[in-house]
Amino acid sequence: MGGNEGLRLLFDELQRLDYVIVGHKVVDGALRLERVNEFNELAVGVEDVQSPGRYSLVEGDFFRHGPDSPKKFLYPSELVLFKVSPDWSITSPDVKIDRTAFFGLKPCDLAAIKVLDRVLLNVDEFYTLYRENMAIIVENCTRPGNTCFCASMGTGPRARDSFDLAYTRLGDKLVMEAGSELGIRLLNALEVEPIDDVTYGDFVRVLNEAAEKARAGFEADNLPELLELKIASPVFREVAEKCLGCANCNMVCPTCFCFDVIDVPRVDGSAERVRVWDGCLNYTYAQVAGGHFRPDLWARYRHFVLHKFTYWMKQFGTYGCVGCGRCVTWCPVGIDLREAVLKLLRR
Amino acid sequence: MSKLRVAVYKFSSCDGCQLQFLNMEEELLQLTDMVEFALFYEARKAVEPGPYDVAFVEGAVSTTHEIEILKELREGSGILVALGACATAGGIQALRNWANVEEFKKYVYPRPEWIEVLEKVEPLSTYVKVDYEIRGCPVSKEQLLSFVLQLLKGKTPRLPVDSVCLECKRKGNVCVLVTKGIPCLGPVTMSGCGAICPSYGRGCYGCYGPMIDPRPAGLNELFKELGVSPKEIRLLFKQFTASAKEFREVHGGYG
Repeated sequence: MGGNEGLRLLFDELQRLDYVIVGHKVVDGALRLERVNEFNELAVGVEDVQSPGRYSLVEGDFFRHGPDSPKKFLYPSELVLFKVSPDWSITSPDVKIDRTAFFGLKPCDLAAIKVLDRVLLNVDEFYTLYRENMAIIVENCTRPGNTCFCASMGTGPRARDSFDLAYTRLGDKLVMEAGSELGIRLLNALEVEPIDDVTYGDFVRVLNEAAEKARAGFEADNLPELLELKIASPVFREVAEKCLGCANCNMVCPTCFCFDVIDVPRVDGSAERVRVWDGCLNYTYAQVAGGHFRPDLWARYRHFVLHKFTYWMKQFGTYGCVGCGRCVTWCPVGIDLREAVLKLLRR
Repeated sequence: MSKLRVAVYKFSSCDGCQLQFLNMEEELLQLTDMVEFALFYEARKAVEPGPYDVAFVEGAVSTTHEIEILKELREGSGILVALGACATAGGIQALRNWANVEEFKKYVYPRPEWIEVLEKVEPLSTYVKVDYEIRGCPVSKEQLLSFVLQLLKGKTPRLPVDSVCLECKRKGNVCVLVTKGIPCLGPVTMSGCGAICPSYGRGCYGCYGPMIDPRPAGLNELFKELGVSPKEIRLLFKQFTASAKEFREVHGGYG
């Protein structure tokens, strides 16, 4: 089936099934995940060029992602938890969630949803409601970028499960795999043909080649234990020398779920309790009544690294890092998580 | 409920911060049900004597007379709030701290010997204990209102102290530093403004001054790598809060 035409049919079919569609759009010189009303609003003909601390778009036929991840929708940066009226009565906001299909997510972002599921599903009300009304159309990543390391984290470049439909663009061909009943329904509606041997061979080869480009030089085996042994390593201090403590890494990370709770008083005597994104690189994050767990910036950076690779495994049975590389790209000073882990492992 | 007795006063400054009270157009009438502006020259003729529950003091201290009034205000107020960049860090008039004030007087005034000013312009905290700082040039009226409402509710007022980046990314902005190489002070500047400048595609000018535990030297290195000229870097850090210690460390290095 022709690439672009097939995707258009898929898009239309999802809309026919009453899904609101979220996909990549070009806004402010970056790919953004936003609600898309028509197929031709989706980003096309662009490629993201990412390197530590730098991001730009150029002409091209394949892109990875921008600063947004599905977290933007599943776990909004600002969420009103409840409202207190002047008479102290409490009301919860009416939460209305659209049936949403994520269109063209890369496998790293699908993996991030799986990670967040372990943390938030059936724990966080908003997240759970959103998740229950959500479809995932994933695009396998045939061309990982410069800051990508999904293959090292075992999350890509090919999605293996937990999607409704996965597609792979091979030249002008589109390879599709169903991962759920919805996926099968979509495939039936699209009238696809069974894959032939040559195309299947290409499919496997292209994604194997892609995997070689998405490695960080370390493998995920034993990483939690190996890194925990390095807790006293001077490497954390060395790497954090450059760190600004701005928390951009936390904000763009597709799995960072930490939050702060803010009470916003209104002049009519009411108040709202609002949950906002927070992050462990912020000074105030580990500040508590009577003291501070991590007043030193290097200790905050160490916590970020060890949480992603070690503590997360103990807490949730999975890595907190999916290898999307956003923390590398969107760090203003380009601190490279891959380099930090390699340094820790080598010394 | 008895009203909160408030004094609003200013020293060397432009009035822009105290005007933020009057800019609360929608909320002002409701606010005056709860707050008595006992002293507020910008808003009313009548002056009620102290003591005041809270004094909001705008402006930097640049004369000995101002020191006296400030000390009186401190003594006569339960809570003293430094309002805006001038009161918290000297503001733009503190830029004269790097020049010869006698020279300025000679060029500006026909009888310079009549002008009595201190050699250095200082924030309020140089002379008295300041209980709270509300940053910005000018302060944000949303933050100011939130501060007053928190006081009225009997809370210890809390304002954010981490980086502008946090607010910027929560808002959903794309980083102007990473995508466009625009020198932005956001990573070292205290949040609270709503990340106004990056929201319009510009770099943060740092008018809120240094955030808590900032790393301006690291940002200086980045600006150098991006090819920002030494002069431009100096001017970036030497603006609204040039006197702030952490920013001084950078622009001091450029003379």
